[in-house]
Amino acid sequence: MLTEQSLGLTGHWTLYAFLFLFILTPPAVAEKVKLDPSNWGLKEGKECVSCHKKSSAALTHEWQNSAHAEAGVNCLDCHLADQVDNDAIEHEGAIIATIVSPKDCGRCHTKEFKETEGSVHAKAVSMIKNRLPALADDLSGKEMVAAGCAQCHGSKVEVRGDGTLTPETWPNSGIGRINPDGSLGSCSACHGRHSFSKAQARDPSACTWCHTGPDSPDDEVYASSKHGMLYEANRSKMNLQSDQWVLGKDYSAAPTCVTCHMGTTPGVKGSHDVGMRDAWSLNRPVSEQQYLVIFDDGDRRELPESQPGPRRGSELRKLDGSMGKVKAVASPKRRRQIMSKVCLECHGKNFVNSYMKQFDNMVKLYNEKFGKPAQAIMSALYEKKLLTPAPFDEPIEFIFWRLWHDEGTAARHGAAMMSPNYASWEGMHKVAQNFYGEFLPQLRQLAGEETANELIEMHVTSLDQNSWLNNPGKPNPILGYGIGKESHE
Amino acid sequence: MSKLRLPLFITRHVVFALLVGGIAGIGFVLFLTEFDHITSTETFCTTCHSMELVAEPYRQSSHYKPASGVRASCGDCHVSEGVFAATWDHFVGSKDLFNQMFGADYDDPVINALHLPEAAFAARDWFKQRDSATCKRCHVKEAIFGTRPDTVLIHTEDAKDKSCIECHYNLVHRAVPDKSVFKRDKWNRMIEQEFGLQPGEADKLLAEE
Repeated sequence: MLTEQSLGLTGHWTLYAFLFLFILTPPAVAEKVKLDPSNWGLKEGKECVSCHKKSSAALTHEWQNSAHAEAGVNCLDCHLADQVDNDAIEHEGAIIATIVSPKDCGRCHTKEFKETEGSVHAKAVSMIKNRLPALADDLSGKEMVAAGCAQCHGSKVEVRGDGTLTPETWPNSGIGRINPDGSLGSCSACHGRHSFSKAQARDPSACTWCHTGPDSPDDEVYASSKHGMLYEANRSKMNLQSDQWVLGKDYSAAPTCVTCHMGTTPGVKGSHDVGMRDAWSLNRPVSEQQYLVIFDDGDRRELPESQPGPRRGSELRKLDGSMGKVKAVASPKRRRQIMSKVCLECHGKNFVNSYMKQFDNMVKLYNEKFGKPAQAIMSALYEKKLLTPAPFDEPIEFIFWRLWHDEGTAARHGAAMMSPNYASWEGMHKVAQNFYGEFLPQLRQLAGEETANELIEMHVTSLDQNSWLNNPGKPNPILGYGIGKESHE
Repeated sequence: MSKLRLPLFITRHVVFALLVGGIAGIGFVLFLTEFDHITSTETFCTTCHSMELVAEPYRQSSHYKPASGVRASCGDCHVSEGVFAATWDHFVGSKDLFNQMFGADYDDPVINALHLPEAAFAARDWFKQRDSATCKRCHVKEAIFGTRPDTVLIHTEDAKDKSCIECHYNLVHRAVPDKSVFKRDKWNRMIEQEFGLQPGEADKLLAEE
């Protein structure tokens, strides 16, 4: 994990701290469990298998071939529950729980538990809480939340008074699941039950079952990037089964999601805090670079760069509403440095820096040319009461939503991960199509010629990037103008 | 051929008394048999409205409408086999009748649901004490083939020394957790929610009794 101690340090000796903490620490994504094996292998748990290999043979088979089985970790070691647990049930004489929460996994996998606990993944429910009333309740309905939103973001698992889990909230493997024991997340979101195979979790599909589709088209972006292309062609060389998986040592053929966002490379410690190396927020109407604030209890949150960075030792509100003491702050620049370090295993410094520049420029272009103007116009429409406060009951609201949430996100993710198609045709081109072809015409229809012109002048045509709109006489044959004439110049 | 000589104390009166007593005895046993039979039926049990409430889930269960058409009625599971054991069970069970008449208002669905867990625990203990004897009236462990290939193996190998009730509870009536994990507080909240009561009302209802 990006060591918390190092992040708040400043001054030239940071380098030494860095060298010490990042280079000298043993490299591995999933740390080997250091506990003594006497901590698992419960005697009563050894009996489960005899029956389960008959009653649920496939599940048992998965476990039998797992590292867990090899190490002697049995069913009860993970499923054991305490009598007082809300979701505790009696099963063949044992008191167990169906849900194995990150807290349960964390009994042995301490490091991974701590890393995920404060990560953006664990907060996947609170992250969308504000959006749910409009998106889930109004536009769709509870039934969709269970089958859609909650499958990726996680449900708040409800336990009935008789110890059973409600079908509205379970089964669920959402990464931000709120578990009956209060812990956040679900390890099985990425680590398929009951084999918990390293190779499976390292495969991009572990991420892309959720990171796909309009609002997070990373599956599509990665597949159409050079990195994805190399992975597809070199899968057999990826050494996915290897115990240790250090880029440049154990594999080199292609980077996967894990490689860049959480993997270990010489000099960068692997971490289950997946968002740690992301400098930008890419899934908002307007992107902004983000500080990563680390609290002294290990919890984390992001803060936009436009706000003053909090000081170490100061009090700051956490995402759950409580107050926390700031232990360290990683600037967007620092976060970018870590990410770039991964790139340097395969690419030269100039290559990396210039690529990052291309990426940043593209995000800024989206921001300035489309994101900010569209947002400003929407705010003005609400202010002028030309729109009702309720979202999604007027066409322009859908148009704006699609502009930043779908098309704008595709453009930015495409640029972040080198998919030319997603940066351009699926991304910016669609943003432009929407902005000039739907958003602005809809604005004229809604606000009337005078107000619309005023808003467009103020937020759109006054910008250099949009000034071409002021010049309707400039010809181009792309759509047929002038074709057949001697000259269309 | 000698004439049958009865002892002197066998007088005509004694013979008459034995005859009457014998017939009465046979009659009594026949009565008990009939009594046990009638009082074990669903029709009899559900003459109390409170029993109607627990019969509802039973009527949805596989014991009421199995594919085979073999229906188990209340007494088939809850009353022992044999006239004396059956009579004893009915005698002990008469406390339910007493409670029905003088105890809490079990006819009220809320009260009924609040008391259900204790009733379930008692019933499970009863089954355990008898090694699930009434289940075995119909079910033979070695003959449970099920529809999946290993069902018979599970029953003959893994459940070899187990009593039916140890694994198979919550089959017929409303599901109640095992005593070891039961939480009264949570149960009350669930019932309150189900019947649209204010939080804490269930506890009040139970305290009032």
